[in-house]
Amino acid sequence: MKPLVRIFSVLLVFAFLMAACTPATQPADSGKKQYTICFAFQDLETEFWMAGHKAITETLKARGYKVVEVNSQEDANKQLEQVKNCIAQKVDGIIVIPVDGSIALKLIAEANKAGIPIGIFNRPPQSDEGNALTVVANNEKIAEATVEYMAQEAKKLGRKVKPLIMVGDLGDPNAVGRKQGFYNVINKYPDLFETPVEVATKWNADVARDGLQAAMTANPDIDFIFTSSDFLYPTIQGVLEPLGKWKKIGEEGHVIMGGLDGDKTACSLMQPGNAYVDATGVQDLYFEAQTLLDAIVKAIEAGEKQPDAWLDDPGFALTQGNMATKEMDMWGCKLFHGK
Amino acid sequence: MTVTPKFSPEAVSNTLKTFIQRLLLSEFFIFYLCVALFVALTPFIPVIASPYNLSNLFSNTWPLFAVAIGQTFVLIIAGIDLSQGAIISFTSVIGASLIATKVDPAVFGQSPIWGKLLFEDGAILAHTPLGVPIALLTMILVGLLIGFLNGAIIAYARIPAFMVTLVTQMFFASLAIYFVKSENIINLPKSFTSIGADSGLLSIPLVMTVVLAVVAHFVLSRTVFGRWLYSIGTNLRAAVVSGVPERKVIILTYMFSGFCAAFASIIYSSRMEMGRPTLGAPFLLDIVGGAVIGGSSLAGGKGKVIWTFFGVLFLALLGNALSLLNVPFFWIEIVKGSVILAAALIDVTRTRILQYHV
Repeated sequence: MKPLVRIFSVLLVFAFLMAACTPATQPADSGKKQYTICFAFQDLETEFWMAGHKAITETLKARGYKVVEVNSQEDANKQLEQVKNCIAQKVDGIIVIPVDGSIALKLIAEANKAGIPIGIFNRPPQSDEGNALTVVANNEKIAEATVEYMAQEAKKLGRKVKPLIMVGDLGDPNAVGRKQGFYNVINKYPDLFETPVEVATKWNADVARDGLQAAMTANPDIDFIFTSSDFLYPTIQGVLEPLGKWKKIGEEGHVIMGGLDGDKTACSLMQPGNAYVDATGVQDLYFEAQTLLDAIVKAIEAGEKQPDAWLDDPGFALTQGNMATKEMDMWGCKLFHGK
Repeated sequence: MTVTPKFSPEAVSNTLKTFIQRLLLSEFFIFYLCVALFVALTPFIPVIASPYNLSNLFSNTWPLFAVAIGQTFVLIIAGIDLSQGAIISFTSVIGASLIATKVDPAVFGQSPIWGKLLFEDGAILAHTPLGVPIALLTMILVGLLIGFLNGAIIAYARIPAFMVTLVTQMFFASLAIYFVKSENIINLPKSFTSIGADSGLLSIPLVMTVVLAVVAHFVLSRTVFGRWLYSIGTNLRAAVVSGVPERKVIILTYMFSGFCAAFASIIYSSRMEMGRPTLGAPFLLDIVGGAVIGGSSLAGGKGKVIWTFFGVLFLALLGNALSLLNVPFFWIEIVKGSVILAAALIDVTRTRILQYHV
């Protein structure tokens, strides 16, 4: 009988686990309908996504919305399945940080078919098919403003510079916009820049490190680096430091450096007296979260099934020139200073 | 002589004991577990039984089941195929790069297949009437070829299957990424995407997978080839001595595994409406997990198509239930892992009881 006892013990544990997972009974509300929002995100691998996740969930909960959170761990098939599970639960609205721009199209199609408003946060769909509320930074303009400042710094050197861009995953329109913004400035000053070196990162720190190491070995004269995302600064430091190229602004051999996102690491690397980064493009994370939430809440309350709007985050470039006045407008600096 | 009354506590206890014993020792045990889980959860989350959710649940089950059938064959001969995920990814890219109707040069201009397979006005077979059938056939052929490569190296070079399929997994997963520089190919023709489109419970993937399963079940249970598989998995030396052409069988088994992966890739790619170079990467654990939970043995010689179906269904149902229960995302994997471990423990214990009874 011993084996049978073991089986029953395991079944008991199994039943207990499942029972523990059943949702707690919701307290009776005051008569007002409590809306449920499904928040499907790709993962929380960078400061930007962590801060975005926090801003969205906390704001929704503060407004009295029930939030169903699902994490696809960068698996597009799982994200599709999770959004469909949310649709099966008849949620009132869906907010998605898609794994990439391609799967966003499929998720929008599913939500449209079910008549549930869907909002896409920060990572836009690969085409304009379907109806969705999409909030996204104007990546091209922000990157352009950032690289323009870097170019002005390069001019002070009185010679040509060798630029390098760390390109994001080009399946993500954000990466395409940032690359375009970089090239807008490079092409504007043909006498200032040599042919740029491109390093593909696929938004992956390991891929970026390997590519940057190879590029620095092949082109030791690189003295101008633009990273399409701030989360790669530690990677850049890891490659430049052993080469003796990780120098503060003003030091001999300083590599002019800039990026885009506006995270805490970028802020720490721009602090007076300890500045390695010349400029960083800022996506206004809190503005984006607030704008999307306002739009989707309005659509839900108005009974709209397929709201469709492009919500633009103009962003800005935080530079060593405007640090004194604009620093606290950057979300990463707010986190850095504990606000 | 004393007669035990029909409804005496002792008789009821005996009947109950026999019933539970039969239930636990049944080869349908995992299926019963699925039913129990479904019935137990329905009052708490009625939406689990809704047609939309069931359609969603099974749309995830069919392709996973298809690829797990191939893994079951490999497990029966005491092998393992770690390359199935890579085959799914690679064939997804190959198929899509033949039939995409529109391709963005800004995204694919740097790809090595730009100007060879991909062009601005579409892929090479995009606007031809036989484009989709040829793409499907190519996907299957590529799956078979990779399977052949795996099988031939394992059978002739005598390198462990784990090592060989790990290498092919790395090679073809990277090749898929290289071909499209990690971009996804969208704009696939309707005739392709309609294969995996949601059409309720009775869908094309269901029909395709059931046909595959029936054929696979027939091969395993009614043919000499099926018996060869079990004999190789149970005792390779004895099988060889008995005249089983083990090299031929090993190669054919891995080819079938590659075929099943490509078959699943068709369903996944059409369902997601794109060719994804990373499509199969997350599936490996679910594929092997589904087959093993169903009852296939990693040591070989044991496994059935129907068991694998139960195992895959259990995994899919569990994932679906946890998601519908709104379990915090960081708990989902913990609960899933614990339940899989519990299922594996139960299976091990059942096997021991069965051996004791035999």
